[in-house]
Amino acid sequence: MPEARFDEVIHAPVRLRICGLLRRVDGMDFGVLRDTLSVTDATLSKHLKTLTDAGYVTLKKSASLARSDARRMTWVGLTADGRSVFDAHILALREIAGSVE
Amino acid sequence: MENDSPIRPSAREAAASLDDLAADRAAVADAVRVPRGLMAAFGGVAAYWVAGAASATPGVNYEPPTTGWLALVVALVIAHLVHREVGIRFRTMGAKAYGALAAIVLSCLALFSVSLGLVASGLTWAVVLTSLAAFALTTWLAGVAYRSALEQLRRA
Repeated sequence: MPEARFDEVIHAPVRLRICGLLRRVDGMDFGVLRDTLSVTDATLSKHLKTLTDAGYVTLKKSASLARSDARRMTWVGLTADGRSVFDAHILALREIAGSVE
Repeated sequence: MENDSPIRPSAREAAASLDDLAADRAAVADAVRVPRGLMAAFGGVAAYWVAGAASATPGVNYEPPTTGWLALVVALVIAHLVHREVGIRFRTMGAKAYGALAAIVLSCLALFSVSLGLVASGLTWAVVLTSLAAFALTTWLAGVAYRSALEQLRRA
């Protein structure tokens, strides 16, 4: 069980939602993330870069079935470090939210 | 424009953030459609494997057909295609899904055994029926497993 720890990198709303979606899956397509969060490609890319630079997220490209050209789909996943930091952050949020739950 | 230097949220903001995470998971689970064509492909693989009993020679000289390995490889390819079509690789699928997968294996083994019995009795034509049963059961159970994985994602 991780200790509660507030993480400022993760807490930015879009980044928190990205990590929340990735926490229970091995990977999610960039397009699925973008559509679920209702953000632009550029916004999602910016936040993924921040998370990748922090070592919380990995990006992996693979060929796409839906595309006949050379473009590829991008799989996004949390690293082990990202998972533990996110879990600790959620515990911190629960502690903070405790008074209204 | 989002603030990139977040400060600690209030209790109400923290609760709202946690609610947003649950809403996002529910949105993904609602948006994903079970890839029925690929579920039927799993059924096709099961039917192909059970139909392999028709070319076997039950008895002392029985040798298991090699179609099992090919079916396994094709099933793995289909699983890979499901990931790519839906855009989600599940970490865990939930007890119900694993139960459905176990039921697929057990029902196919049972239908294969029945098929061997039919072939030994000279009723080779009846393997068509067991193959169809394998197709229908596997297609249905694969769909059950996939829907269970989506529910698991929603509840996480």
